[in-house]
Amino acid sequence: MELELRDYVQIILKRKWMIVAIVLICSMAAGLYSYFMIKPVYQATTKIVVNRTATDASGDDLNLNEVNANLRLIDTYKEIIKTPAIMEVVAKQHPEFNMLADDLVKKVKVNSVNNTQVMTLVVQDLSYEKAAKVVNAISLVFKEQIPTIFNVKNVTILNLADIQPAKEPVPVNAKVKLNVILAFVVSLIAAVGIAFLMDYLDDTIKTEADVRRYLELPTLGHIARMDNPEMGQDQAKKALKVKAGEVNV
Amino acid sequence: MSKATNKRHLISFVEPKSPISEAYRALRTNIDFSSVDDNIQVIMTTSASPGEGKSTTISNLAVVYAQADKKVILIDSDMRKPTMHHTFGVSNRKGLSSILSRQCEINEAVQITDVPNLSVITSGPIPPNPSEMVASQRMSALIEELRKMFDIVLIDTPPTLAVTDAQIVSTKCDGALLVLDSGKVKRDMVIKAKQQLTQVNAKILGVVLNNVKQKNGDGYYYYYYSNAEN
Repeated sequence: MELELRDYVQIILKRKWMIVAIVLICSMAAGLYSYFMIKPVYQATTKIVVNRTATDASGDDLNLNEVNANLRLIDTYKEIIKTPAIMEVVAKQHPEFNMLADDLVKKVKVNSVNNTQVMTLVVQDLSYEKAAKVVNAISLVFKEQIPTIFNVKNVTILNLADIQPAKEPVPVNAKVKLNVILAFVVSLIAAVGIAFLMDYLDDTIKTEADVRRYLELPTLGHIARMDNPEMGQDQAKKALKVKAGEVNV
Repeated sequence: MSKATNKRHLISFVEPKSPISEAYRALRTNIDFSSVDDNIQVIMTTSASPGEGKSTTISNLAVVYAQADKKVILIDSDMRKPTMHHTFGVSNRKGLSSILSRQCEINEAVQITDVPNLSVITSGPIPPNPSEMVASQRMSALIEELRKMFDIVLIDTPPTLAVTDAQIVSTKCDGALLVLDSGKVKRDMVIKAKQQLTQVNAKILGVVLNNVKQKNGDGYYYYYYSNAEN
């Protein structure tokens, strides 16, 4: 049995109310969920610049090799930050965070912008203030500790996170719009899939073609469904109910 | 059930100009032309499962035959769930079961209806053994008798998958119509119903698709349809 494009459209149109209902419900659920249920998470960042030449004092000798070496160094630093060597100190210095070194390691994200000597530390927390304090503490401790590890003093903090920002911080995860759009697309695909599945599983006889295919009998008459005088009372009621449902959904 | 609502079963009588009445007329035409050599005089309707519209179909078919100036007799052989007396608003005190059990003569059981040219034999009091009754010689004799008295004999039967009555009656008919509630009845059930009828060598004239969903803009399809088949 080959399905043509028109059949596909027909199947979708036949269950358009079901599809619309599913999509609406899913989108609304996603919207309400992300609006009310998800706690806002705030994020604070600091930027650190790594520059070996600062301590080497070779001044104008800023060649490509130096830069490359710095980039390699950043990769190393990224890993160092996420070790207990730094985090233990942070945890010890700031008992008010109430976090172990392990927790801190999990919380901090270190990024380096491609091919620059700038490193970004990101911490997310339910409270913006705490996120800012933690990320600042980590940055400061890192700057303090790096000479003892590498014996070089080449880390400069570009900016610390603002603990009391002028603007109200915007939560990073409350992407209501994005969630709704995602839910819309996913539920639309799912609903269309369900429609096709229902059509595939529907083994009732509906058309003259079905009659010919399965029964090999001619169809002598088509009696249309009405709204619905020729049916019995009960059936008519049922039919009306179905009709109302179809229209109102 | 009130009389007013039951009258609505007979759309071809109440609203003869509606597209649905036209569909019944098209059905009549198709039956008339479905068999060239055999004279189709005794027709029955059956279906796989209950509630697919057998009685509605045959009642309306009876009306459109009567409107074509044929003398029509309609027999309700569904002695398990009779409805004909409701549809035509006649008494069910005497009917098929009374004739078959020799409690009355044929003439007494034949009742005229509001529809000109259309008479009915209702099911009569519900007997304990409907299958045996319709299988009896007297049933055959009754049909033979009615063949002489009327132009068209229409018989309503119970669903095939439920009881054997329809199979029995089909052997005494010139043709059977299989009524299908489109979009409701399962493929397998209809195939089984068809097998049961062909097993007893019944002649299945064809299928009546009932409750076909009417699509927008299809209004004239049913007028057009009568010329489309065959």
